[in-house]
Amino acid sequence: MAGEAEHHALGVFECQLCALTAPYSYVGQKPPNTQSVVLLEESYVMKDPFSSDKATFLVLGSRCSLCSRLVCVGPECSLFYAKRFCLPCVRQHLSAFPQEIRQDVEKRTAPSKKISSQHRSQT
Amino acid sequence: MPPPRTRDARDHRDHRRAPSEEEAPEKWDWSCPETRRLLEDAFFRGEDPIRQGSEECQRFWAFFERLQRFRSLKASRQEEADPGHPTHSIPALADLPRAYDPRYRINLSVLGPDTRGSRELGRCLPPERASEFRRALLHYLDFSQKQAFARLAKLQRERAALPIAQYEKRILRTLKEHQVVVVAGDTGCGKSTQVPQYLLAAGFSHVACTQPRRIACISLAKRVGFESLSQYGSKVGYQIRFESTRSAATKIVFLTVGLLLRQIQREPSLPQYEVLIVDEVHERHLHNDFLLGVLRRLLPQRPDLKVILMSATINISLFSSYFGNAPVVQVPGRLFPITVVYQPQEAEPTTSKSEKLDPRPFLRVLQAIDNKYPPEERGDLLVFLSGMAEISAVLEAAQTYASHTQRWVVLPLHSALSVADQDKVFDVAPPGVRKCILSTNIAETSVTIDGIRFVVDSGKVKEMSYDPQAKLQRLQEFWISQASAEQRKGRAGRTGPGVCFRLYAESDYDAFAPYPVPEIRRVALDALVLQMKSMSVGNPRTFPFIEPPPPASLETAILYLQDQGALDSSESLTPIGSLLAQLPVDVVIGKMLILGSVFSLAEPMLTVAAALSVQSPFTRSAQSSLECAAARRPLESDQGDPLTLFNIFNAWVQVKSERSRNSRKWCRRRGIEEHRLYEMANLRRQFKELLEDHGLLAEAQLVAPGDSYSRLQQRRERRALHQLKRQHEEGAGRRRKVLRLQEDLGDCSSEEDCAGRAADDNVDIQDVKFKLRHNLEQLQAAASAAQDLSREQMALLKLVLGRGLYPQLAVPDALNSGRKDSDQVFHTQAKQGTVLHPTCVFANNPEVLHTQERETAGGEGKQGDKDKMNSSHQLLAFVSLLETNKPYLVNCVRIPALQSLLLFSRSLDTNGDCSRLVADGWLELQLADSESAVRLLTASLRLRAHWESALDRQLAHQARRQHLEEEEGEEAPPISRKEVAALSRELLQFMASKVPYSLRRLTGLETQNLYVGPQTVTAAPSLPGLFGSSTLSPHPIKGGYAVTDFLTYNCLTSDVDLYSDCLRSFWTCPHCDLHLPLTPLERIAHESSCPQAPQEGTAGGEEVAPEPVQKASALQRPYHCEACQKDFLFTPTEVLRHRKQHV
Ligand SMILES: [Zn+2]
Ligand SMILES: [Zn+2]
Repeated sequence: MAGEAEHHALGVFECQLCALTAPYSYVGQKPPNTQSVVLLEESYVMKDPFSSDKATFLVLGSRCSLCSRLVCVGPECSLFYAKRFCLPCVRQHLSAFPQEIRQDVEKRTAPSKKISSQHRSQT
Repeated sequence: MPPPRTRDARDHRDHRRAPSEEEAPEKWDWSCPETRRLLEDAFFRGEDPIRQGSEECQRFWAFFERLQRFRSLKASRQEEADPGHPTHSIPALADLPRAYDPRYRINLSVLGPDTRGSRELGRCLPPERASEFRRALLHYLDFSQKQAFARLAKLQRERAALPIAQYEKRILRTLKEHQVVVVAGDTGCGKSTQVPQYLLAAGFSHVACTQPRRIACISLAKRVGFESLSQYGSKVGYQIRFESTRSAATKIVFLTVGLLLRQIQREPSLPQYEVLIVDEVHERHLHNDFLLGVLRRLLPQRPDLKVILMSATINISLFSSYFGNAPVVQVPGRLFPITVVYQPQEAEPTTSKSEKLDPRPFLRVLQAIDNKYPPEERGDLLVFLSGMAEISAVLEAAQTYASHTQRWVVLPLHSALSVADQDKVFDVAPPGVRKCILSTNIAETSVTIDGIRFVVDSGKVKEMSYDPQAKLQRLQEFWISQASAEQRKGRAGRTGPGVCFRLYAESDYDAFAPYPVPEIRRVALDALVLQMKSMSVGNPRTFPFIEPPPPASLETAILYLQDQGALDSSESLTPIGSLLAQLPVDVVIGKMLILGSVFSLAEPMLTVAAALSVQSPFTRSAQSSLECAAARRPLESDQGDPLTLFNIFNAWVQVKSERSRNSRKWCRRRGIEEHRLYEMANLRRQFKELLEDHGLLAEAQLVAPGDSYSRLQQRRERRALHQLKRQHEEGAGRRRKVLRLQEDLGDCSSEEDCAGRAADDNVDIQDVKFKLRHNLEQLQAAASAAQDLSREQMALLKLVLGRGLYPQLAVPDALNSGRKDSDQVFHTQAKQGTVLHPTCVFANNPEVLHTQERETAGGEGKQGDKDKMNSSHQLLAFVSLLETNKPYLVNCVRIPALQSLLLFSRSLDTNGDCSRLVADGWLELQLADSESAVRLLTASLRLRAHWESALDRQLAHQARRQHLEEEEGEEAPPISRKEVAALSRELLQFMASKVPYSLRRLTGLETQNLYVGPQTVTAAPSLPGLFGSSTLSPHPIKGGYAVTDFLTYNCLTSDVDLYSDCLRSFWTCPHCDLHLPLTPLERIAHESSCPQAPQEGTAGGEEVAPEPVQKASALQRPYHCEACQKDFLFTPTEVLRHRKQHV
């Protein structure tokens, strides 16, 4: 039952853009219980709640490499291109990214303000 | 926790290398099985993200194929470099890769295959193929991450959008300031799933949440576990009658009300919880009401315990004021506007005066919907009907209409349907077709179906009502309450604006009662009173219920429990009563279990008791299908339903152990709902554990299979089963199927249809769970032992059944043999004219209940009904009396009348020569000759005393065991095996005795003038001291003499009998050589003390030996002989001997 302990929540991850919260059980690049996968960024990780396999993990988010905001991996909040960038930063420095990224960002909607404000009013 | 440091030395070869694939297209087949296995061997090892052979692995290959197709499409426009891309001044942006490649967008990397171990791999797998594969794997992992994250985000959005989300802070704040908080909100506001999570988030870690239904416990635990993102962790658990997922890590447990009450019984202050959520209090279930009373008393003693009452917005003030004006947090439901249309049914010229419901008003609604709403506008119809008969009436008509229009799929919904059929209402109708769900009030609160836009409310409900006078359950039709009407209406507005058609007038609605009648006002209270007694909450009459039960129901319950021997005359629990209180079953069934354990019939009795405690396993279609009936016939027992159920269960267990995959089909062919058999198995196991816990059943020896090989085999099997179960759970959340339009034409229980459905999920998860939960070998051993039961053992089993069921007896009407099968009538003490339930084995075969005609000629003409003299009269012992359109006897077993009454009756009255007996004041037995009457009566007295003492010792032994709490060393069994054997033999002999007699139910007038009444001249009986009772006292009410607490001698009115007291006739004792003119009473007295008569316990030897001696000495009385003028201390026999000298 060594695995059980590793899933203990270390804290609660909260995206600074969309306010999504979830308990994380690991921070780093080497998720527990799996040996052949490495993460290319320092990530907040939880055990995948939708899988019965304890080795399956879910990356919740990481820090933006420009503004160091803690952001979730959701397409409305951040993107990964060799590094993690929050969408506000990407928009600000759009020209630094290849065309594929630029097109992609334009398609994305702005983060849902509604939910984020709702959450804020409660906390 | 340090991150695991393994294989760090391995280089991340392709980490930053620009991609350069698509080389010479040699012969390389990705779909070749060997290639795949090779790759799987290399990449999917133990600790890797994907495991070989798993479902995930299959998903990967499907993804891989899609990716390959996509690649080949895009291959042409590959090498497009991004032209203008200035280096950036910000360092973080400066080193971004210049040429775009989708893999730079993936935030993880997969280590290369481990080729060290396998040279074969290195040779067969070209490096570029390996890296191509790795790339695909990478994309797959990225895709899975995105998918899982999207699910997580969606879940959170949905939670935040629930109406109750706005109230989280308020609920927590109020709970901080008050001990009790009422959270009121209608279905759909999310209270049941969210409030427990709010408590978790607020840091509470010992939370219990009660639910009225077991199903809700499981589904809520799953849902909350899932939402709180620990679906497979153990923070959220449930505990119900048969299973528990609770562990030390559990912070929230969902459990049934009954189970929580049992926990309180064990630890009255409930130290294990800090917060208690009582959900659905508005439903006013019996046990919920009781729990509220218990909590109200407990709260002052546990000031740190918090209680949240959750309720629909019904009668909230009642709960608030019951708990000292507890604060209420009211959450608005999420309902769309609903238009109400009143369509009162005018008194239409009905086609016949039959009770059948007229379906036309319902069809008119279907038509109206078809006319008014275009089929593209989706939205289903939910029809509330009062009961199953009404559902089938409308079902028939609606299906005809549906097959005409092709615009409806009509589905019934009620609790007697199989689980699979119930599940169908969640399937979706094909485009342009609407579902029409015909439901009982089960869909009012228990089952929530999405997509309902139209509701038809008949305004009626059928509910069990309890008649304490007749001691019978009645299923009656009532108008619903306004609260129910609103609840029904609300079902139309869950997903969009809706319409509710009320088939009654607005004025009717105004006249409805505001709330439904709480259960405590309409059901039998036996179980409740028993539980109250065992929890020592004091006098049930003064318990501060939220709304008190009717005093008559309470009194009936107390009387009934006294009748059943669970309470004594001072209303305290007897030993048998306290045992019964711990068995979560009907008193009658609990009694059988205890009685069965005395006769080493515990195993078969466990099965019978379990079978009688679940709903009938026969499907509705089984009643009409001739094929099913024919297939079931070999399993039927002509002794009665409990034994038929016994056979069915045993045969099923055999099928399970031989070819378990077929058991589902086996059941279907016989019209049996397999689910009920699973329930029986579960219940049986629970009963068994209870009996073992209470020392009434020797604990099963753990028979481990002898050799290590079979042990290994067994372990392997169990592991495989566990894996199957896990896989099933992973794929949980059954996918909604699209209903077939023609579905309505065939009954679902038809073979093909069901077989088709069964084939869909190729794992029978019920079977898997069954095998995990039960020791099939043990069950099978019990089942085959059951088939080997001797005739004697079966007879004994029946006897125990009869004694357990007593006083629930019915006598066949005298004219039954001349009636049609369907017109057979039976009378109980309280109710005349009951009939057999259609599922009863005797319903098609009532001849076995008739007296055998040929014997009637035998008796010589004495007087009157000599043609009724017969030795084969029988009674029906039944489990319950249910009144729907007729009063039905449910679960009957036939028993010989005279012998059973002599052994069971709580009151037996005789005339002077004992040839006329009245049992329990309603059944009269007239025996052909008084000689055999006295003989039987004497034998029954002895057997009863013996049986009673065996039972008492068994219970006393059990109580002692409880006290000593596992003293070391095995205590000797309270009753020796020999003694039990002797008792059984004598009982069976007694039951088999053949004496001609007549049997009839007394008329009302006769019962009023039954007894001679107290006599003014209390002439001392000729012989004092019978059966150890100190004096043979005149009965104060009936007259005659009380011989034992149940037998009253010579108290029956009759012209002949007045002087029979002193009528002597010559008599020879069957045991000694005594030959004297004696009155019947004197004969009884002699036989009871005859030194040569078989004595109880003598066969057993050992510890019971002293008893008869004690009794004998207690019988000695001072005797003054007139003849020799001397005084003696004599037993009645000694008196007789002495007198003989003077003859
Ligand atoms: Zn976010
Ligand atoms: Zn940023």
